[in-house]
Amino acid sequence: MICESLKTCFDDPGKFLGEWFVLLPALVLLLAAAAAVVLRNLIHATLCLTLSFIALGILFIALGAEFVGFVQLLVYVGAVAMLIVFAILLTRPERLAKSDTALSGLGPAGGALAGFVTLGVLLGFLFTSPIAKKSLPGPASAPVAEIGHALMGDYKAALIVVGVLLTAALVGAAVLAMEDKNS
Amino acid sequence: MELLERAPVELKNAFLRVLGSLGVPEGMLAILSAVLIIGTVIGVFLGLFALMSVMERKILARVQNRYGPNRAGPFGLFQPVADGIKMLTKEDLVPRAADKVVHFLAPVVMMVPALLVLAILPYGRDMVPVELESGILFFFAVGAGTEVAIFMAGWASNNKYSVLGAMRAIAQMISYEIPLVISAVTAAMIAGSLSPSVIVAAQGGFAAGFLPHWFVTTPWGFTAALLFYIGALAESNRSPFDLPEGESELVAGHLTEYSGFKYATFFMAEYIGMFAICGMFVTLFLGGWQAPLPFLTVVPSWIWFFGKVCFVAFTMVWVRATLPRLRVDHLLAFAWKFLLPMSFAAFLSAACWHYAGRGPAAWFLSLVVVGIPYLVLGLSFTSRFSVSRRTYLFSE
Repeated sequence: MICESLKTCFDDPGKFLGEWFVLLPALVLLLAAAAAVVLRNLIHATLCLTLSFIALGILFIALGAEFVGFVQLLVYVGAVAMLIVFAILLTRPERLAKSDTALSGLGPAGGALAGFVTLGVLLGFLFTSPIAKKSLPGPASAPVAEIGHALMGDYKAALIVVGVLLTAALVGAAVLAMEDKNS
Repeated sequence: MELLERAPVELKNAFLRVLGSLGVPEGMLAILSAVLIIGTVIGVFLGLFALMSVMERKILARVQNRYGPNRAGPFGLFQPVADGIKMLTKEDLVPRAADKVVHFLAPVVMMVPALLVLAILPYGRDMVPVELESGILFFFAVGAGTEVAIFMAGWASNNKYSVLGAMRAIAQMISYEIPLVISAVTAAMIAGSLSPSVIVAAQGGFAAGFLPHWFVTTPWGFTAALLFYIGALAESNRSPFDLPEGESELVAGHLTEYSGFKYATFFMAEYIGMFAICGMFVTLFLGGWQAPLPFLTVVPSWIWFFGKVCFVAFTMVWVRATLPRLRVDHLLAFAWKFLLPMSFAAFLSAACWHYAGRGPAAWFLSLVVVGIPYLVLGLSFTSRFSVSRRTYLFSE
């Protein structure tokens, strides 16, 4: 088996890499996500979370969903991760844990319980929904133009609703952050 | 000339043919071909970086009426070699209270996006290392990694100047990324594709026999190009947007606690990133590898591309030599209150130009659509200040 693999590695490295490449970001994603939960130093946890975002983006790209992968990188690494960093640094940096010691007591058990319950509920819905009964479509790689036409055509109502929602959230955030000139 | 145009590709193919005749398997050749391309691209940009590091100091010196580096080699051209040896032999200092792992990783993480974005730029006719359908998106998505690296550097140094510098850098990069991306979208919208090579192809040909179809020649394109240029200056932390490293207030911002080769890596990544964004600017608005006049098409396309990139990089140095540094609140107000609305105006203007038929009438319509917001915003900005002619007491 290993000999076979090594032989393909030399004869057709592209194919060899293609077969095994998918596993690497998946592994990094899982490890980084676990580290983000376990680490007590908030900044380290954030950096691990960022790494898991990046790994997820690469996984999408490796699976042929280029557009989703790039958007994942742009939005989650470029915006969400930086937002978390800002939130941590602008609140109380002196209370940041300096070491990465693990939690003790009932906390981890409760967290694990909550996590598994959520997973169970999600899986339950997933297997009872009509989507589960459809057979899997083949590897889809929709061109960007097609995604754009779909968003501006069939799904334009949803797009506008999301736009309105985000605008409302932005205005709300601005109002919250605005200084009250009267006080 | 035809031979010169194809020279880089033909050289690579000839080398691979020789290897193929020596019995190297087909699959291995494909990998070798990729390695050759990667090596060439990185080599060229490292060479440009070395040249730039000495040219920048030369140009600054010329503007400021002094000589600049002129000791190492002819005209000081070996200065980068001397700098490199100096950087390599310097002591690598890590503060005792620093977060050692993150402090070490930051320069590495900084280098990754700077090199990755080089993959999608069309360097010449049929010369794109990776032909991506959504190349523009890739460019900005990967570029987002720079912010993470700067934050890592600033925070891990455990120094208040570093953290302040990193915070400034992130605030600035997030703010200027929005007008940057929106002004890039105008070009993608008119070309009807996110692929850099399609955008360059859309700018080919000449109007009236001599006017190139570059996007910068249209009112919306000119506006978007200026916005993109300003955004590019801010994204690469260059003067007048070099607040994150403002020497007079923050020592060196996130670079304060870096020395030796780690500092050199940051420096290198910053300059390569600057060249990459200049390349993107050239691709989007200055016609990429297209020649500016019909009879100049005999000159190989890749010479045009790198010529334009060097010209844009030169203007960045010129700006650095000319303009003073902005203040933080001015910097952010400028991004949100002027650049962002103007980029929306350029967006609308591009749409008007397209739907009015792309002719002379469309040209004037898009000029009006972009001109009115410019006047309104510009007047609202300047009406608060009374600008009067300055006289310098001791210089006349």
